[in-house]
This record gives sequence, C-alpha cells and structure tokens, in this order.
Amino acid sequence: MALTDAIVEMEDISIEFPGVKALQHVDFRLFPGEIHTLMGENGAGKSTLIKALTGVYKIDGGSIAVAGEPRMFTGTADAQSAGISTVYQEVNLCDNLTVGENVMLGHEIRGAFGINWRKTNEAAREALVGLGLGHLDPKQPLSSISLALQQLVAISRAMVAKSKVLILDEPTSSLDANEVEGLFGVMRRLRDQGVAILFVSHFLDQVYAISDRMTVLRNGEFVGEYLTADLDRTQLISKMIGKDFGTLAALGSNRGRVAAPDATPFYSATDLGRKGSIDPVDIEVHAGEVVGLAGLLGSGRTELGRLIYGADRPDTGEVRIGGVSAEVHSPIAGLSKKIAFSTENRRDEGIIGDLTVRENLILAVQAERGWARPLSRREQKELCDKYLVELNVRPADPERPIKNLSGGNQQKVLLGRWLATNPELIVLDEPTRGIDIGAKAEIQEAIAALAESGMSVVFISSELEEVVRLSERIVVLKDHRKIGELVNGPDVTAETIVDLIATEGSAA
Amino acid sequence: MSTASTTPARSRDRSLLGTIIHQPYIWAVVALVLLLVINLVKDPGYLGVAVNPTTGNLSGNLIDLLRASAPVMMIAVGMTLVIATRGIDLSVGSVMAVSGAVSMEFMSNAGDGSVGTALAAAGLALAISAGLGAINGVLVSIVGLQPFITTLITMLAGRGLAKVITAGQNTSATNEPFRWIANGTVLGFPVVFVIAGVIVAIVAVFIRRSALGLMIESIGINPKAARMAGIRPIGILISVYVVSGILAGVAGIFSVASVMTVEVSKTGLAAEMDAILAVVIGGTSLAGGKFSLTGSVIGALLIATLDKTIVFLSIPSEATPAFKAAVIVVICLLQSQRVRALFARRRAKAAPTDPGAGSPRPTAPRKESVPA
Amino acid sequence: MFTTAQVRRIAAVAVAGAMAISLAACSGGSGSGSTDSAGSGSGDGELTTVGFVAVGPEGGWRTANEQNIQDSFSKENGFDLKYAPATNGDQNSQITAFTSFIDEGVDAIILSATEATGWDSVLKRAQEAEIPVVLLDRGIEPNDPSLYTSHIAPDNVGISASAAEWANAQFPSGAKYVVLEGPPGLSVVNDRNKGWDSTIDANFTKLESQSANWSTEDAKSVFETILKANNNDVQLVFAQNDEMGLGAALAVEEAGLKPGTDVKIITIDGTKAALEALAAGRLSFVAEYNPLFGDTAIGVVKDALDGKTVESDIVVPSVTFDSPAAATEALPTRKY
Repeated sequence: MALTDAIVEMEDISIEFPGVKALQHVDFRLFPGEIHTLMGENGAGKSTLIKALTGVYKIDGGSIAVAGEPRMFTGTADAQSAGISTVYQEVNLCDNLTVGENVMLGHEIRGAFGINWRKTNEAAREALVGLGLGHLDPKQPLSSISLALQQLVAISRAMVAKSKVLILDEPTSSLDANEVEGLFGVMRRLRDQGVAILFVSHFLDQVYAISDRMTVLRNGEFVGEYLTADLDRTQLISKMIGKDFGTLAALGSNRGRVAAPDATPFYSATDLGRKGSIDPVDIEVHAGEVVGLAGLLGSGRTELGRLIYGADRPDTGEVRIGGVSAEVHSPIAGLSKKIAFSTENRRDEGIIGDLTVRENLILAVQAERGWARPLSRREQKELCDKYLVELNVRPADPERPIKNLSGGNQQKVLLGRWLATNPELIVLDEPTRGIDIGAKAEIQEAIAALAESGMSVVFISSELEEVVRLSERIVVLKDHRKIGELVNGPDVTAETIVDLIATEGSAA
Repeated sequence: MSTASTTPARSRDRSLLGTIIHQPYIWAVVALVLLLVINLVKDPGYLGVAVNPTTGNLSGNLIDLLRASAPVMMIAVGMTLVIATRGIDLSVGSVMAVSGAVSMEFMSNAGDGSVGTALAAAGLALAISAGLGAINGVLVSIVGLQPFITTLITMLAGRGLAKVITAGQNTSATNEPFRWIANGTVLGFPVVFVIAGVIVAIVAVFIRRSALGLMIESIGINPKAARMAGIRPIGILISVYVVSGILAGVAGIFSVASVMTVEVSKTGLAAEMDAILAVVIGGTSLAGGKFSLTGSVIGALLIATLDKTIVFLSIPSEATPAFKAAVIVVICLLQSQRVRALFARRRAKAAPTDPGAGSPRPTAPRKESVPA
Repeated sequence: MFTTAQVRRIAAVAVAGAMAISLAACSGGSGSGSTDSAGSGSGDGELTTVGFVAVGPEGGWRTANEQNIQDSFSKENGFDLKYAPATNGDQNSQITAFTSFIDEGVDAIILSATEATGWDSVLKRAQEAEIPVVLLDRGIEPNDPSLYTSHIAPDNVGISASAAEWANAQFPSGAKYVVLEGPPGLSVVNDRNKGWDSTIDANFTKLESQSANWSTEDAKSVFETILKANNNDVQLVFAQNDEMGLGAALAVEEAGLKPGTDVKIITIDGTKAALEALAAGRLSFVAEYNPLFGDTAIGVVKDALDGKTVESDIVVPSVTFDSPAAATEALPTRKY
C-alpha cells in the first residue's frame, strides 16, 4: 500500500471567526488504509479542521481535495454522500428512534410498500454484529441504552454508509476498556479494508495503541505531521502544549491530606438513595476534602452525585449540612445549600448553547438570586473578568455564544458558573472527560486549589488514576451500590480499587 | 457607520442603523416600508393625518393602522414569550372572545355607562383571561402536557365558554368610556395604540430588566441544562402563559370596544395565526430560545399594514389570502439561514479575501510513505 | 325563545299543508296539531329520530333559525331531534356528524351546511341508506336535486334583488357604492351578489367589493379604510348581513359622517339589532332573510317519510323594511 495517493488532501487551510483565527495555514493529508490521529490541546483547532473538511465551516483560504478532485462540501450530509462519515465528540443520534432506525437512518431498505422494516432491522443487526454488538436489539429505543453504547451505535451508522473516510471525534471518551478494545478491533479491520480513519482522542495510550500517523495542531496552527513510531509521548506532549513536560509531571498530589476526624462534616447523608437509580448510601464530605467516587460506567457514581445536588429527588435518606438536617430535592435547593454540580453531559445538561459565555457563566448565580434581582452589568462583568482569567478560558470574549467554544473551554465556563455561586461543596462529574491533557492538568490544579481553600469536593471520574491522585477518600461503587470506602494513602493505587471492584463482584 | 472602513473587522458597528440592519427582522422593516410606499404611490396623501372637523379627532390612514395593529401586538408579545420557552399558545383567539364576552355581558347587565363599570368589566375580563392562561401554564408545566395539545383544548373550550357566557348571542353594550379605549385619541394618538405601546414597554422592561428574559431563553434553548443551573421552570412557564392570557384578554377588550359588540364566533377568530406569524416575521424561532419583542411588534405592525393595504389597494377579496401569504412567505424566505448564507456568499465573492497574507507557516517533515 | 304553545300552533299550520308561512301566521291555527303530528310520524307513538347537522352559534340570524328548528322538532310533535352544531364553523366536523347520523340510522337528516361544496359523497351514502335529507338555508354545489329530498331556504337572489330595487328608487341618477360581502366562495355570498348585480341600475358605480367575514369588527375596519381611499365619496353600502352593516355604520360615524344621510346602508337578515338601528336612522334599508321555517321543515320531513312527493326547492318568503317607521312597527314582535 506504500505510496498511495492521499484520499483527503487539505492544503493551507485558514478559517477565521469574528475576532479569532481558528485555523491558520494548516495542512492535512489522509491516506487510504491508515489510522491518522489529530492531536492538539482543546481549542487547538482539531474539531474546526474536521468541520472544515466536512463543510460545516466555510474555509477562508486554502484548498481541499478528495480522491484528487477539488471539493467543497456544504455540510455533513454532503460529505457523507462523498464517502466521508463523521462520528462527533458528543453523540448525535435521535433519542426517540430505535437502535436499528438510528443505525440505518437514511439507508433504510425499501420494498414495494415503502420501508421494509424487517430487512432494515436485519441489516442493522448485521452492522451491529460487525462491531461486536450482537447483543443489542435493533428494535429497542436508543434512549434505553447507555451513552457508551449509543456511541457505538453512532459508529455502526457511519459504517452502514460504506464510508471511504471515517472521522471519529473522541469516540472513546465514554467507553470502558473492553469497549475500546472492541472498537479498535473494528477500526483495524476497516483500515485493512482500505478505509482511511481520522481519529481524535485525548487518551495517549489509545493514540499510541491504534494510530499509524499523527498531525499535531497548536492554537490553530500546523505544528507537524509525524509517524507515530517516530515520536515518543514526551515529545508529543511538548509539541502539543509548546512547553516542557516537566511542568506537567510536577502536578501536585493531594493524597494523604486528611481532614480533622472529629470535625462535623460539611455534608453527611445516611441511607441516601433513589429507587432504580442507586441503593441507599452513607457518605460524608468534610470541608477542604476531596472525596472521589470511583466505579465503572453505570456503577451509580453519577446518580449519587445527582442525588447530592438534588438534580434527582432522593426517596430515602437523611441529609445534614453543617450538622443541620436539610432537604435537597431540587437543583435550586442544592444551590441554596451552597452545593454545586457540574454535569458529565455538557451538551445536554450543561451549556445553554445559544447564550453567550457571560450569560452561561452568571446563570446559576442568577437562578439562586431569583429573576426579580438581576445581576447588574458591573457584577456580571466582574464575574466574567474573574473566572475567564482564572480558568484561562480561550477566547476570553464574554459576548461570544458558548457553542462556538471548544469542549474544554465550555467545561471551564461551566466550572466558572458553579464557582461563581461560592459553593461550599462542589460535585464534579467527569470534569476532565473529552478534554486534552493541557486543560485536564489545569482543571486538576483548579480542583486541588479549591480544596486547599476549604471547599468540599466530590470528584467523579472514570480515570481511576485521576481519582487516586486527587482524592483524600474514595467511595467505591458498583452495580448501583456502595461497596467500600478507602482512605487514600501511599498503598492505595488504581489497582487497589480495581481489586475491590473485582472481588466484591464475585462475592455479590 | 463612517468608522466601519477604518476600524478592524471585529469591532461592531454600533450606530442605530447598523444595529437594525443586523437584526433578523430587517426584512419585515423593509416590507413595512415597501407597503407604505405602495400605498403612497396609489394615493400621495396616504400618510396625511388631519383633524376631522366633525368629530374633532385626528384621523388618517396611519391612525387607523396603529389602531388595527394594537390587538395583534398584544397577542404577538404574549406569544413571543410562550414560543421562547419552546411552547405555543393557540388559545389566544379564544381568550380574546372570552374576554370580550365577559366585558360586554357585564356592561350590558350593569346598564350604566360609567367609568367604574368600564373598569370593572375590563378587570373581570382580564382576571378570567389570566385564569385561562394559568390553566394552560399549569397543564404545561406541572402536568407536563404538550403546549400544542393543551392550548388547542383551551382554544376549543374557550370559544365554547364565550358562547356560554353570552348564551350564543352577539352581545352589545353601551359604555362611552369603554368605547373610548378603542376609538378615542390621546394627544393625537389612538388610545389603543398608546395603551398597547405602554403595555409592550412595561413587558419589555419587566422581562429585560429582570432576569426573566435570560431564564425564559435558557429554558427555551436547553430546558434540562436550565433546570440543572437552578432555574425553576414551573413558575416561569406558568407566568409566561398567564402573561399571554392577560395580553390576549387586553386584545379582546380592544377588539370588542371598537364596535361595542362581542361576536362570539368571530371575535379573535384565527388571531393565533396572526400572532404566530408576527412572532416568526419578527425573527423569533418557533423552536424556542432567543426572542425579540421588538421584532414581534414590527411583525404585528406589518400584519396590520398588510390587512389595511389589501383593502386600500382594492385587491379582490378572493385574492387576499394569497396576497397575504405571498408577502409572508417572501419575508420568511429572506430571513431563513440558507438564503442569508447565499447572500453572504454572494457578498464574499464580490469582495474576495487575500489568502496569501499572514505569517509564514511552520514547516514540518512530511513523510511520503504510508504505513500499511 | 318560543313557548311550547307557540310552537304547536306553528306546527299545526305546517301540518295543515301550508308550505310557506310568514310570521303573521303565528296567530292563526289551532292547538290540535300535536296528536296529529305524532300519529303521522313513524306511528305507534314512537318518536321520529331526526339528525340536525347545524352550524351552531354564528350570529343573531343563525341562533334564531336553529332555535326555531329545535323548538319545532320537539318531543310533543313526535320528534327526537339530535342537534349537532359544527365546531367553529368547520365543514369537516359537519361531515363527521352527518356520517355518524347515517351510521346511527336516524329516520331523517336536516342539514344546514357551512359550505356548499363537498357534500356529494356523504349525500350519496345517505341515499343508499334511504335516509331523506332536507337542506336548510344553504344549498349544495354543484346543485344536484337527486341527492336530497328538499331544499328549504329564503331566496337570497330575490332578497338582494329587492334591496337593489330599493337602491335604484333612492338614487335615480345613480350612486357610488361599496359591497361588504361574506367570506368569498360561499353560495350565499354568490347568490346575494348575483341578485344585486343583476338588478342594480347601470348608472351605479361599484367602488369596491370586500369581504368582512360577516363581522362587525372587520366591517368597521374595512370600511374606514375604504372611506379614506375614496375621500369619503361613498353614497351607498350594500352589506350582505346585518353585522357588517352595523360595522359600516360605526365607520361612517367615526369618519364624522352621518349614516342614513351621507351614506345609506343596506343590510340583509333583519335581526333585532338591525331593526333597532333602522328605527334610529343609522341603517337605511333592511331586507329580512326569514329564519323561521321549522314548521315548513316538519311538513317536508313528514311527507318524505310518508312517501309523498316533496317539492325539491321551497322558498321561504321574506319581507323588507325600508323606513324607521316600518322597523319600529316590527320591533315589538321581533324575536331574534
């Protein structure tokens, strides 16, 4: 396959949004039969480059050629008809359709009397089996399966379209190890069939495990194109962030810092639970303490976080805040008790896309004050000035619609939204999911600093190393119940947690 | 405007004209001006306003136009808020009929033509309108019914209620102060328009000076995220439907006061369509979210102008629905994203950017072989 | 609205074979009709079931008409009337009601259509089910008398022609006039235009013909603009119903003119409100469109059920009021 012609060739691509140069003179080539990773920090321009290719964004300069022909697509659908399928960072499927309908959308098999649903569902099943998802029933509603499985359904859908180019933007961010391995198997099979795969991921291990080549972007500029084998991790990271790896390695660990045991915890709950969501749990969080919630996807870690905030209404349990009995049955109740919750589902439950960064940032503070007492222009400006700088939001333009920001920067704005309410306890659900290593480090540092300043933190992450690095105590969950609690120390590692989950599993 | 060419591209043009040109309702403004021009061509004295020697009131086509736009304006403003929350209020026309029926029935029974009776009738009508709005709001927010279905029910039930109130009759009443609401003038302006303007201003200030606007938009754009941010949707939804109900009640009073008769099967008939059109013409998306009260007011003015122009130009009544539809379709087309994008592309072609400018790009090793 | 005694008297006259009846006939007749009519129905004291596909509340005329029908087809007269008004004047709801009456197997159906077209298929179904159908007021288009038993209505063409005759007499040297019509396409609108246009003298100038949707409010708004567009140079308004005529009068007053003097207004229907306005000089001519023909309808239904031949087109006679005095005289007995 050596010396094949590129199937996608983008040269000298520039895109400018009002006030921002999103891409400047970027080159990118994709060959049939390769897995090519696009690397860069959040806001480096990875998503923008993909959108330039698929025609979602109009390019202001440069040229795009597909299979040697100059092309200019008008959008995802147009690109797809030319054999370029995209699976975006956030799952983009129809919740109210079935799995099969989603897989086959636009490729339904037609008979004499319109769509032949039996054949369509069979085809969907075949596509799913090809991904190792034979256990999924094409007829079940999409909304009934987990986010991770929905991601795989999105990939199945792209494969049904018989694409020559498959763009996977953060496909693994919500998958567990087994699912990732299954996906990689399929990706390799597709590569061997000659499909060109463009892959975006923040998991360095995965990048090195799967990709053949990589293109690195930084701040919208082209840094270089490398064979994966030629570039080790340290070099890659320093190319991505433009500085030495040493600063990253120095990221402080909080482990072992334990709050005074006799103090009244800021938050304590006994038998906190909700039917069908999580079995009754006891949990306490002291001031200045980081409590990690560890567990696999679907273990109930998110559900517990939501109960603490009041996003869902608990139906059992007693909550005490600062030693005083309290009812936290709604988000606004949580806010008024100085609890904040940053969701893992940034797009659906986090950002208000059409509103500006400023409006998104002040929203929770405003909701807590009520509609009748609006924040003044000056107060709004102060909040924006403070958090956009503190959290290093790029671009730091408060009047830009938040949907135009990259995922990591949206996450920072959301973090700012909650910090602006001056919470005593903040529940962070996957705050680092789907964002690059640079922003991840910034957010981890921010969390450590928050705890240092006396705030209580409940930290939820699927990356066990991250949980171990940041937490004083770790609540381990499995199958919607709490199976143990670890006080962090030198002998606690990610392995310890994995072992606990594994042994508890066999006992239960 | 004059600084536009010298300042960098990112700085926004802050002049009034510049602001208006970038609004989604710009085409509605253009259409409005165009309609007035067409009328002027037919009759150069169209815009003239003079004091009527017999009645002593100011009179003229513009006055009629402002008067006719007042009821549409009221329901369009209410509809804007409802639509912004991802809802729709189909019941506004029926609420107009109920409000009209209540006020007429009350005054016809009260018998005297005093200001007190007029105020009591209006108050009672508005209270009942607010009640109907509250029913919509509760069904949508607490019970969780779809707004379309909910307000469709109140639309049917409302007109039935209006018929029950007047026993199916077109009820008339005599009350000079009440009649004055729709037919009188203050400082030359029609009272209805002044009242409508004041109400729009109050609503606008109330919505935009408080955080209600922000919260309504949040709920409309992403209800889940809004709730997670601590916004209580129930209260806001109920208030929005109540406001829509009250404004429809006001529109009903305007409507019946004009002729001092409620026509139970005709008062407010199809008014919801005019309101929805005004909102859409004004640039608020039916999908909810960002809204523009100014746009809806302009939309209402446009619809009233359109109705009046049709009569003024003696367009045969068979052709009026088609004429009205054509104008509205053209405006909606011009506002659509695609058509706007088309225009933008045209403009971009006319003035090509220089792709060669900028910093030299970083060079990087390029591997010509592809691993298999 | 009507006492039972009155209804019986009206019914009695109808049974006596009077196909056409004016209001004056109310005073005639005897009280012997009830047993008579029950006997000639479906017999054995059983009630004759009649489905009434109606328009529902629309205005004074319609209310009077439907009340009159309901009062006429009473239990005392041997009928079980099922009243099905349309939902907001929607023809679909009427067709639905019509078909369900066929499915129920009623003895007869009386239909006041909201629109003239679109009735062919359901009328055929009724025919197949051998259910006689009597059309009230509005006819059907295309008019196929084989599809229905009888059509009872006042003569729209004749009524508007009589209005035009009055106008011809009032303005021997012609005048500039405006027509305010109902929603375009309705057969009643077409008929009233037809009668007027064919009778009005050639020296009259029609400035404009606009729809005001039968509504006072719309008519006021439409006519105020027409007055402005013509610099108040309008001598005559032909309003196709009372409500629109009253709206036009308001617009005339608003413009500082005097209705009846500066602008003469003709209306059709003859509701109480219009006669009051005529008595006060605000309207100039009111042509009645007689709504009271329940008795005629009873006669037709009975004859049809008894297998007798029925005339397919029955005209209900109407009167006209051309002066305040005539209106004042008629007002005390005006029921609608």
